[in-house]
Order: sequence, then structure tokens, then C-alpha cells
Amino acid sequence: MEERYKLSVEAEHSDKATILIVIGRVDGSSVGILESAVQEQINAGHKTLIFDFKDLSYISSAGLRALLIAARLTQKEDGKALFCALADHIAEIFEISGFNEILDIRATRADALGAL
Amino acid sequence: MGKSPTQVLVVDDEEDLELLIRQKFRRRIREGNLKFLFAHNGKEAIEVLKENPEIYLVLSDINMPVMDGLTLLSQLADAEQDIQAVIVSAYGDMKNIRTAMNRGAFDFLTKPIDFNDLEATIEKGLKHIQAMQAALETRDRLVALKQELDMARDVQMSFQPEALPANEHHDVKAVIIPAREVGGDLYDFFFIDESRLGLVIADVSGKGVPAALFTTVTRALLRAVASKDYTTPSDCLTMVNDLLCESNPSCIFITLFFGVLDLRTGELSYSNAGHNPPRALRTDSRVEVVPKTGNIVLGVQPGHTYRNNQIQLAPGDTLFLYTDGITEAEDSKSAEFMESRLDERLADLAGASSERVITDVVDAVQEFVGDAVQSDDITCMAVRFLAAVPS
Repeated sequence: MEERYKLSVEAEHSDKATILIVIGRVDGSSVGILESAVQEQINAGHKTLIFDFKDLSYISSAGLRALLIAARLTQKEDGKALFCALADHIAEIFEISGFNEILDIRATRADALGAL
Repeated sequence: MGKSPTQVLVVDDEEDLELLIRQKFRRRIREGNLKFLFAHNGKEAIEVLKENPEIYLVLSDINMPVMDGLTLLSQLADAEQDIQAVIVSAYGDMKNIRTAMNRGAFDFLTKPIDFNDLEATIEKGLKHIQAMQAALETRDRLVALKQELDMARDVQMSFQPEALPANEHHDVKAVIIPAREVGGDLYDFFFIDESRLGLVIADVSGKGVPAALFTTVTRALLRAVASKDYTTPSDCLTMVNDLLCESNPSCIFITLFFGVLDLRTGELSYSNAGHNPPRALRTDSRVEVVPKTGNIVLGVQPGHTYRNNQIQLAPGDTLFLYTDGITEAEDSKSAEFMESRLDERLADLAGASSERVITDVVDAVQEFVGDAVQSDDITCMAVRFLAAVPS
């Protein structure tokens, strides 16, 4: 697989939430990596997730769908999903698609943690 | 390999191998999971194989009258049936054994035959054949799956509307250049009444059959809702959204722009469910972004109320609608085509026919992409308003 399709998801745990740092590109060919990372945290009982997008370079509609599913899954477990540190071009994708209206988006990780 | 016994053909001009096998394998023969057939030379063997296409393993002696084992091997290699052969030869007959292996024999046994060795070799041969057949079945399933996907794509493509012949009032052209995998782009146009033209462009999340089905359903729902009690595009989207949300457990969504061009006035009334904003290309080369209505994609938020907006097209203006397959098309260095390149190209196309607008934009995108793989459907539609229909 080419370098540019690389996606990795790193998890950090704080007492309030699990932070998922999404690094690289989420598209149809890599979205499975994000989906399994989310599932893994939920299976482990971590139901409050903060997605840190500071190193997210691109997200396709398949990726947005994975975020939507993550939000639904955490809600079902009485947890929640927050999204933070969106670069301008990522924020624009959220805005055009209207996902900023239904997902909880915060400017920084500290803001997201503070909102819990 | 099913319930029928696995068949093995034994070829030897002497009776000893046949006797040994009938005796040593009698239990498995009786239980019906192994069946042995016998031939006494290569020529007979070929005939038996012709009549029994289920034989995949042959055990053959080398020295036989009429047709020897090595000749049989060569013929097996040329046959269409995929048959594995085990050669039986005298201990120390390395020259023949080597020749046999070179001609594609799977394994060899030496005489006098050791029963354990024989059994192990037959088992090994059968296992090999099973693995090969499993691989073939997998391949066949993949081929079948690919055919289904191709069919899904054909079905989806067949749902695109028939070309709308241009006249003195309107000139509409659209194209989808599908990516390799069946995707979820959609365009549509249809008359709501004799002077109002509905225009749709959409892109579903994800690819494959579920995406294609979702697209097809959305198109049908929108046409149905718009043709019955039409009020505004936003009302239509609010209704279609609720219908889509009713049963969408897998969270598929669709970005969709729905505009209705009133050919009496040139007014475009529209609502935009999370889709890339279209462009209004003015006759003086200005390229205007059709303002967003700030609404979410269809299919995820039940009860969402879609907002409506209007812009005015003057005679000669063109509305250009597209999917992100254009702006996010990548060249081999993963640079994106971007809205800026699209807008630059459009600015040069003021006053051009819709056909020319589409062709030029698609050419520019394809030239940009070059040898890189097209990863997403490329879809666009140009709608030129020419002159008002008398009210």
C-alpha cells in the first residue's frame, strides 16, 4: 500500500475519556482501520471517545460515515463522541456535509475534555 | 468434496498393485469415501479418464505395453482435466522418476510398494487436490461476485435519465464516468410540470452494492415526492430525508443538491443536503458559488427541516453541478484538482454549450489525473438557461 493511504489511530486514556488520535487519510480503502479502532475501545468499555484530528489530512464520505457510526455506538452505551482539532480543510468538509450540525465538534482537545 | 467417493485411477499392467489396493483400502472402499478404478496401460487410462471426469488422482506404473506411464503423463499434462499423477517405478530407477517429475508428476512411489507410503502419498495427493479445488471454487465465487457487482453497476447506470434534447429554452447535459468499483454518484433531471425542470446531483457514502441501492432508492423517492404535490425543493428533501431515515441501520448517507429551474423566469429554487455547492457561470465569465442552504446530508437526521434558497439565472447563464470526484480527483503525486482549478476552467467556458462545458471540464480533470487511478466516480451536469418560456 502506498504511503499516502496510510492511516494510523493511536489511543490515549485519560480519566474522563479515551482520545483517539487519527493520523493520515481516512478514505474507502483505509476506513476499516478507524472502524476497528473505535470498536476496540467500545468493546473494552471505553464509551467516551475524543477524536483528535490534528494529524488528519483527508476524510472521505466513507470516513464521515464511520464517525457517524462511532457517535451512534457511544450514545447507545450512554457515552459520547467528541471531535476536535480540525484543520481548515477538514472543517470545511464537515461544514459542507452538515456534519458540524450533528457531531460535537470542539476547537482543541482541552476544550473537548473540558466539555465532559 | 461432497458426499460422492473420491475417485483414484490406478494404471498398471500387472495385477499386484490392484490387489494390494483392493485389500489395503477395503474399509474405505466399503465406507464409500474412496473409489478405485483400474486400467492396464496408458491408452486404457485415457479412456477411463474420459468417461470419469471426476477422477483427479492417477497412480501409474511406468513400464506398460501400448502406452507407457511417461507418455500417459505427457498426455495428462495436455488434457483439460486437472489431474495429479503419482508415478510408480522400480527402486533405483532414478532416470525415469526424474523424467516423470519433470513431466509434471505430483510424486512417486518405488516398488516394492510400501503400504504406509502408498497410503500417505494418496492422502497427500487428495489433500493437494482438495486445496486446489477450494482455490478454484474461491476463484469462481470471486468471478461470480464481480459479475454481480458489474450487474449492479449496469442497473444503476440504466437509471440515469434519458438525454433531454436541447431546445431554444434549455440545454442540459450530464455525465458519469464511473470508477472501477460500483459507486454511488447520481444525476437526474425531470420535468415537474411543463415549465419547471427538476435537477439533481448526489453522491452516496461508500461504494459497492449497498451504496448503489441507496442511490437508486433515493432517486426514486425524490422523483415520487417531487411529482406529487410539489411545493419547494426543501420540502421535498425534508420528506425524502425522513423516508430514508426510517430504515437506515447501516448509517449510509447521501449528499444531494436538488434544484428546480423555472423556465418561465430563470429562477432556480433549491435546497442543498450537504453536497458540494454548484456554480452559476455567468455570461460575463463570473463563476459564482451557489450559496449553501446549510443543511445536513440525507439519511442521518430524522425530522431535519431542509432550508430553501433561490438564485436567478439570466439567459445564457449556466448552472454547473458536480460531485467531489471532480474536485478531489488526484494526480499521481496525490495533489487534488480542487475547486480553484474547476472555477478557472469554468470561467473560460462562459457562453459555451452544455456539451462543451462538460467535455472541457472532464478533459481537464482527466488530463490532471494522468496515469493515476481514478478512485471515485466523476459526475457533472451543465444546465444552460437560454430563453424564458412564455408564461
